[in-house]
Amino acid sequence: MAQLRRLTGESLAFVRGIPRGAWQRTTIQDRLLILVVFALGGAVTTVLGLAIFGPPIVGFLGANIPLVRFFVAVTVILLITVPTAFVIIYLELKVIARMNLRIGPNRVGPWGTAMSVIHGLKVLAKEDFAPTGADITVFTLAPVVTYLASAMTLLVIPFAPGLFGQDFNIGLLFLFSMGGLTVLGLLMAGWSSFNKYSLLGGLRSAAQIISYEIPLTLSVVGVILLAGTMSLNHIVAAQSGSALDWFAFKQPLALLIFFIAATAEANRTPFDMTEADSEIVAGFATEYSGMRFGFFFFAEYVNVFIVSALATTIFFGGWTAPFDWPWPTTLNFFNPFALGFFGWAGIVLAVAFFGTQFLALLVRLFGGREWTWGNSTGLGFLLLFVVAAALAGLAGFIAFEPIRGLTWFMAKTYFFVFVFIWMRATLPRVRVDQLMGFAWKWLLPASLLNLFLTATAVVIVHG
Amino acid sequence: MPTRKSAPDPSSEGGRTPCGEPHPGEPSPAEPQQFGSAHDVSSASFASTDDPRIMLDREVGGLFDPIPPYPPQTERESEFYTLGDGEMFLNLGPHHPATHGVLRLVLKLSGEQIVDVDPVLGYLHRGVEKICENSDYYHVIDQVDPLEYISSLFQEWAAVLSFEKLMDVDVPPRAEYIRVLSGELLRIASHTLFQGFLALDLGGLAPILYSFIERDEIVEMLAALTGARMLFNYFRIGGVNGDLNHEFMSRLGDWMSRAASQTEANAALLNENEIFVRRTRGVGVLDRATALRFGVTGGNLRASGVPFDVRRAHPYSVYPDLEFNVPTREEGDSLARYLIRVDEVRESIRIIDQCLHNMPDGPIMAKLPRLLRPRPGRAWGAVEGPRGMLGVYAISDGSDQPFRFRIHDPSFVNLATVPTLLPGNLLADTMAIIASLDPVMGGIDK
Repeated sequence: MAQLRRLTGESLAFVRGIPRGAWQRTTIQDRLLILVVFALGGAVTTVLGLAIFGPPIVGFLGANIPLVRFFVAVTVILLITVPTAFVIIYLELKVIARMNLRIGPNRVGPWGTAMSVIHGLKVLAKEDFAPTGADITVFTLAPVVTYLASAMTLLVIPFAPGLFGQDFNIGLLFLFSMGGLTVLGLLMAGWSSFNKYSLLGGLRSAAQIISYEIPLTLSVVGVILLAGTMSLNHIVAAQSGSALDWFAFKQPLALLIFFIAATAEANRTPFDMTEADSEIVAGFATEYSGMRFGFFFFAEYVNVFIVSALATTIFFGGWTAPFDWPWPTTLNFFNPFALGFFGWAGIVLAVAFFGTQFLALLVRLFGGREWTWGNSTGLGFLLLFVVAAALAGLAGFIAFEPIRGLTWFMAKTYFFVFVFIWMRATLPRVRVDQLMGFAWKWLLPASLLNLFLTATAVVIVHG
Repeated sequence: MPTRKSAPDPSSEGGRTPCGEPHPGEPSPAEPQQFGSAHDVSSASFASTDDPRIMLDREVGGLFDPIPPYPPQTERESEFYTLGDGEMFLNLGPHHPATHGVLRLVLKLSGEQIVDVDPVLGYLHRGVEKICENSDYYHVIDQVDPLEYISSLFQEWAAVLSFEKLMDVDVPPRAEYIRVLSGELLRIASHTLFQGFLALDLGGLAPILYSFIERDEIVEMLAALTGARMLFNYFRIGGVNGDLNHEFMSRLGDWMSRAASQTEANAALLNENEIFVRRTRGVGVLDRATALRFGVTGGNLRASGVPFDVRRAHPYSVYPDLEFNVPTREEGDSLARYLIRVDEVRESIRIIDQCLHNMPDGPIMAKLPRLLRPRPGRAWGAVEGPRGMLGVYAISDGSDQPFRFRIHDPSFVNLATVPTLLPGNLLADTMAIIASLDPVMGGIDK
């Protein structure tokens, strides 16, 4: 207790405004009293505040459900960028390592899974440095612009039926305009860093992203013609049915153009001109450190996710299943209220007992000699939870369409994430002039040709 | 830099002559006058020069440009450090991910296109030649080891060869075969590493790791033979330090059973990669006449169509008894220089095979006195290293130390062609060209 008091006293003595030693002079009883006073004051304030301001707030929120929904969606989307980036960074480390005959991260967490969390903490702990001569305002804003431009595009992507930020009727247009904002952040970073490598990287990114935006947008116009809408939800709905209804099979050329242009748009290998480490050190990010660099890093991996999600949504049916779902999608087997309390309690107890014993028996049979009656029962009890969770997940997968849709969506999206990582492990970088020449000489005419063919087909079939 | 364009430069009309500007740290009569005039101009007509950022750029901007702090010494220097319209300097190195050590290139860029190059060397200079002149003949071997650190056996070999000529030593045939065997193994290691680094400089992640697997196998087996992984100190005047042992032979046998197929597979990673071929074909073409004029040797010369190989042109050791081809190519570009190395790996595997079949029995050292005092004279010993002709010119004055000791390093000569190869290419091609010339800065700076 003395040690605890010393610890708390010392740590609080540094708080500005409290005289040094005032906290140490208090006794435990004093501190309890202070705590109780603060708690009571807080509770009274909360109750009064709710009584006075609660009804109008609730009324306002109830009257503006779409607004509430929008703010919740924005918050959730900003929050999920972080775990998404973490997962993709970890996958990249691990998959590239395997392709290079290495092991990859395996120290932090099981199979190194906490590696990207540690990376994030490391980045937070680093010095936030700005070089002499940098334009501090622009230098600070650049990563924010890049990150927000990436995160905002997530707003219109339909993850599952009913699970999307906002269903714009100009969804695709919004998406490409927000994606185009990324270049602004990179250019700001390159310009404000007061470094020639950064400047070259920023200018490269401007040239590259603006060039590739044209074939990227034009390749999707064919899909818009076929679906008759720019809303991503409706584009997904137009592909429902089986895998043969996907636009990937109706628009293969558009898919090819889209994938190449999207790779360039996300600054991924082989088009990672802007941060070509062997040429211009780290490009626009050369002078960045700490969390400012972290935002660029996040934005890059969120971009990978967005591009994969877009390919999934536009060409591979989004959250729809690749085949007609043969199994029942509702669980109306019995009425759960008919059993009553004792009936449920009996079922739960019986399942817990016999399930544990059954799993413990399996462990004793197939485990080694060290599995005695005691520890195998313990393991069986733990395994029972795993089995129950798996069964519940399966039931949710079967019964709830959002969960099923999200599972299909994530499976398809992470397949494309894997393809991006695979490309990074395999391909060298193209040169700047080759990159630009490819965009203007090949991709743009090809996307125009695709548009022409699609429009002709639509006119012949429907007109 | 961004702000420099917007600021009028009062000190010169049109082209900026920063070479004439004094270093900010050094007092000079020109400095106060210049800044004073800049202030006058700004207060008179250009409001933008009051911007603290532009003033800061005036003060510290010069520090970020790679301009020497002294007035131009030569006409060439004066010409190089004068910027034309729309040009800028880029200081590439000495700390840069892709300059293979501490090479520094001052590039004059117009956009991304290279207008002119000024290579700056000497960051690793230790005066090894002079150190060798002050150590006795035995100690020279471990002094020259770290020069070309990727393939240090060849550096030893050149020194040992010149000393043996100086002393008329007959090396036992088994020692010669062991030298050829270990040397060719190290040549494969060096060429494999070259392939990986070329791909890495072009942005490919995978090949370098596959290269390091092969190199590590070879380096480990050489460690079993010589006791060290990089700086072997294995060759001796009159032979080698140790005989073939069981661990070396078993590692070598393991590796040889898959060497041919594995090197083919590693080469196929790049040979059949469209992006790699497009990045290197026609880039940095070194024509035959230029290559000969600069004295380029090794794979870089053979890629330009000259079948010069020291092992055939000036035979040494047991190379006359061995069968191997000298591969040549006509194109002289980065891709040809890469493919030459791939072909040479195949030839080296053939040579190793023959060495293992023809390995004679016998001693591994000639009988030599403890203290070496060769007769006064001079000798030139040259071997074919992975980067070209590695030569040592030694003069003896009859004492136990070489009177003069000079090293001809192929990387130095090959790198001298960079200023003629780079202009007109893009910044990204710098990496393809430098990496395809395969310089090792340790040997260049000596």
